[in-house]
Amino acid sequence: MTKADAIVFVVDDDEGMRQSLKNLIGSVGLRVEAFASAQEFLRSKLTDVPGCLVLDVRLPGLSGLDLQKRMAEAGIEIPIIFITGHGDIPMTVQAMKAGAVEFLAKPFRDQDLLDAIQQALARARTAREQRAQSEALRRRYRALTPRERDVMARVVAGLLNKQIAGELGTSEAAVKVHRQHVMAKMGAGSLAALVRMADRLGIPTPQL
Amino acid sequence: MLELNSTGRWEGELIQAQRDGTQVVVASRWALQLDELGKPIAVLETNNDITERKRSEESLHKAQTELAHVTRVATLGEMTASIAHEVNQPLGAVVNNASACLRWLAGQPPNLEEARKSAALIIADSHRASEIIGRIRALAKKAPPRKEWLDINETILEVIALARSEAQGNRIALQTQLSDDLPLILGDRIQLQQVILNLIINAIEAMNGVAEGPRELKVGSGKDDSQGVRIAVRDSGPGLDLESLDHLFTAFYTTKPQGMGMGLAISRSIIETHGGRLWATANEHRGATFQFTLPAGGERMS
Repeated sequence: MTKADAIVFVVDDDEGMRQSLKNLIGSVGLRVEAFASAQEFLRSKLTDVPGCLVLDVRLPGLSGLDLQKRMAEAGIEIPIIFITGHGDIPMTVQAMKAGAVEFLAKPFRDQDLLDAIQQALARARTAREQRAQSEALRRRYRALTPRERDVMARVVAGLLNKQIAGELGTSEAAVKVHRQHVMAKMGAGSLAALVRMADRLGIPTPQL
Repeated sequence: MLELNSTGRWEGELIQAQRDGTQVVVASRWALQLDELGKPIAVLETNNDITERKRSEESLHKAQTELAHVTRVATLGEMTASIAHEVNQPLGAVVNNASACLRWLAGQPPNLEEARKSAALIIADSHRASEIIGRIRALAKKAPPRKEWLDINETILEVIALARSEAQGNRIALQTQLSDDLPLILGDRIQLQQVILNLIINAIEAMNGVAEGPRELKVGSGKDDSQGVRIAVRDSGPGLDLESLDHLFTAFYTTKPQGMGMGLAISRSIIETHGGRLWATANEHRGATFQFTLPAGGERMS
């Protein structure tokens, strides 16, 4: 994955600081977009590439911590690196508890910020891949017939073909065919793989 | 003498030498005595030695200036954290731009254009830091009062640059509403900035006592009725009760645990020395407004 496939957002109300962050992050070849306020950032159209946010804690209007909360509520998953001009410990704790990648006091070492950005982008990529996998999984599950879904639910619940046939009022041979279709359509190489998929899809599986 | 001839009277202060060579300040009143035909025949002169009064006025003035300085430094002391933040911002920008500059230079091939831009940014940020320090130093300095022509909006904005982060740290939205085409003011920049800073800090502290509702601080300027300027600092704090309205401007009256009770008393005396007026009113909805006027050209400034 090349650097251009990622984007770093910067939100800082201090113009000089904002510009210097753009300059520093740009100097390692990363794409940067900077905003002067949380509201401006929320209004912007986010590009659909892995991204992270370098966010000042103290902002006029909506503060950095408020923005973090809003984004969580809205389901916007962008890893956040907080920067602050004050060594405010309660704020740091609050931000980190809410999932911030890093909390840096200004002025910080350039390498510290750039490392945090790399870490945040790696997190964003992983989250993105996971989202893509879940989406593909759901797509495959939606492609199953209702009868195949019935069979799948019982297979992953640990029932034998004979038991499933009994429950569904059909023959064991028919269940066997449905079961093969389920495995093929879901792309599951083994029963264990199918159980893991069911788990991710939220289908009840026996707790071991 | 022209005045004596035209109105028949003259009043003023004169410096006269006594027989032993020491000088005295004399308040002198002259009246022209006319004969029946209206021709001047004599001048009636009344002299009062006001040397002592002059001397105590001067020492009072000096004491006021010193007191103003002390409270100004105390206010700056309370703002240390915010001021440090204001200076820290451009310093942080310098560090970032310098780091970026090194990275642009270390590239293969080096990106000289970006490196040059970075260096230019470093210069701008450094100037910004030194401007902030310069403003603080000017406020902290013990300087004799000095009249100069001032653009009141500029004077206000310089204070706001210092107070902005204090407001932000307290989650207060600080807005300005400055009107153009205001006349220039003849006054002491530092003293007037002290008044504005004092009103802003008071407003911030007042709003800190309020848990709910918007925290808004508006600093506005405009023309007053007599062609001078009017500066208003409006907050959305708890407002003022009748009792405190009476005592607000009295020395040593304070509602703050750490307050000296000198801020408003000194502010009022500074404004009055400038020939203006400083007063407070409770807002209709919530909060209080402190405002002062200054005559255009500050003609009455002593």
